[in-house]
Amino acid sequence: MTDTLHPIVILDPTAELDPIGRRPARRSDTLTGAIGLIDISKPRGDVFLDELERLVSARYPTVDIVRLSKPTFTKPAPADLRAEVAERCKAVIQALAD
Amino acid sequence: MSTLPAPGTSAPPFELAGSDERPLPFPGESSEPATLLLFVKHDCATCSLIAPLVGRLYNTLERHGLRTITVSQSDVAETRGFVERAGLTTPTVFDTDLDVSDRYGFDAVPALVLTRPDGQVVAGFEGWDKADWNALVTQAIATCDAADVDTSALDAASTPLPESRPGCGSRAHDPDIARRLAVKRDSERLAGRRIRIPVADDPFEFLAGEGLTDGLPVVPPTEDRVLRMLKGTSRAATDVVAVVPPNLEPATVEKVAINAVMAGCRPEYLPVVIAALTAACTDTFNLHGVLATTYFVGPMVVVNGPIRQEIGLNCGRNVFGQGSRPNMTIGRALQLIVRNVGGGRPDGIDMSTLGQPGKIGCCIGEDEEASCWDPLHVERGFAPSDSTVTVFAGEAPRAIRDQLSRSARSLATSMGHALESVAHVKLHGMGEVILVVSPEHVRTLERDGFSKADLRARIQEVTARPLRDLVPDAECEKGTVPRGLPPAWLGPDGQPTPDALDRRLPKFNRPEDIIVVVAGGTTGKFSAVVGGWVSGGKSSSAVTRKIEDA
Repeated sequence: MTDTLHPIVILDPTAELDPIGRRPARRSDTLTGAIGLIDISKPRGDVFLDELERLVSARYPTVDIVRLSKPTFTKPAPADLRAEVAERCKAVIQALAD
Repeated sequence: MSTLPAPGTSAPPFELAGSDERPLPFPGESSEPATLLLFVKHDCATCSLIAPLVGRLYNTLERHGLRTITVSQSDVAETRGFVERAGLTTPTVFDTDLDVSDRYGFDAVPALVLTRPDGQVVAGFEGWDKADWNALVTQAIATCDAADVDTSALDAASTPLPESRPGCGSRAHDPDIARRLAVKRDSERLAGRRIRIPVADDPFEFLAGEGLTDGLPVVPPTEDRVLRMLKGTSRAATDVVAVVPPNLEPATVEKVAINAVMAGCRPEYLPVVIAALTAACTDTFNLHGVLATTYFVGPMVVVNGPIRQEIGLNCGRNVFGQGSRPNMTIGRALQLIVRNVGGGRPDGIDMSTLGQPGKIGCCIGEDEEASCWDPLHVERGFAPSDSTVTVFAGEAPRAIRDQLSRSARSLATSMGHALESVAHVKLHGMGEVILVVSPEHVRTLERDGFSKADLRARIQEVTARPLRDLVPDAECEKGTVPRGLPPAWLGPDGQPTPDALDRRLPKFNRPEDIIVVVAGGTTGKFSAVVGGWVSGGKSSSAVTRKIEDA
């Protein structure tokens, strides 16, 4: 038979669509308004963010700090936290600690 | 079984080319009152026996409008000799792909089909039978309205032939060809995008180059392999099994089957893979986190119930090791689905610092027959006759060695000491682990009537240490931190109270966090522990699902 000369046809094992491309929001070049500090709940994340809050408040007295935290670092941020960030914060800083 | 079109039905239309490569359509466009199709192959003795007779019928009735087409299952050169020997003057076409033979459904050649101009069948038979032939000739004469034709030469030619003779098997039934034809018929129900691997490419290199493998070679998921894999389940290929993190893409039964082929699964493993994927894609298991963590863990699959024997899953000697096909491929299929459908690629979202070898795929069976306890699935609420999978986010297994304990209490104490080292000896109040108890250790525990509850209680008892010894200190800055402690143990400053520092904290939050599974060879006083991911149960917990179709 001539089968070996035929191209092998396989089935696509993927989801056949690229994940929807998400463009990161434009980075802010100033620190003004409400800035969220998100603790992802890793050990000593609070220590790091406390220090960061102190530095930001001293250097940018007009900035309002909003302290937020994820319930667990093991899962993506829940929808209500994402909504809160969108509603209350102009920018956020997330702390990854350990 | 032959499904040659019966009189009154329509013969399938086709268009095949002759040796001059000009296509010849059936039914034809002319007004000829009848068409006779003769299917032959060159090396069939019965075909050679009757071809001259068909040629004579054609010569007799051609001028009365009998169109005759010889359809050869052999190639051009083979057919040429056949036609010359038979003295056939009919147009001859070549059914090279055997598609037309397949659609006509006969088992044997020669096969004869007489039709009206619209393709409606008037008569037909396969093999050789003089009575059938005479009936076909009568119908041909009637259909061509040629009652006065001289049939003496035709009668003379048929007289010496035997009354009947079986034909030869149609080439459409050759195993290789039949399989290809079946694929062609069935492949229409496969929705997946087709990828053509160029002839010059090595399929293994192609698949690796496309980023579709886990680093080991995969079996190319051809249509026929995927169709065979789908026979392993009664579920429709289009059914969605789960929505797979991290991209949250739906995995249909077909996509699961494609990846199961690639992993090297046999069709009878497919229900296990489907159930494992269902279990892994739950919020409780948290596959997204399991993928993304810097920790070691990967999905480990534990199978219970009758399906273990049905698919030959190893529950015994070398249970975590190599050599058993279902063990090696079921966990791998799950990981390939996560990679290919979910988009969870090791070079992408997987941030594991060190990983572990079992992340290529890990699947074991519980040796329920060697156990003195209820098996895992029964403990978790299923019937003994159910088959289940339990998925667990596990580290690599590590050894617990105790050849000396002769009492259950001593062995349970040993196991407690070994389990205290999971992740870090100073980390207590942890979440789930899997304790794999080998048959020899089971017998030691069984002799003293130790239940699973007794075993767990003893492990908790021997690992319980004063919190003072577990908190971070100057000697070792690692330890159990306030976050993992009961709130009542903490003072207003968030630190353990002096009283709490004297309280004893066992290794695990709850005794039932020690998941006990019996497996392994019958020789060797060794057990194993598979550590989990992050204490506290907020991350990932073991999930058990029933295997349907099992």
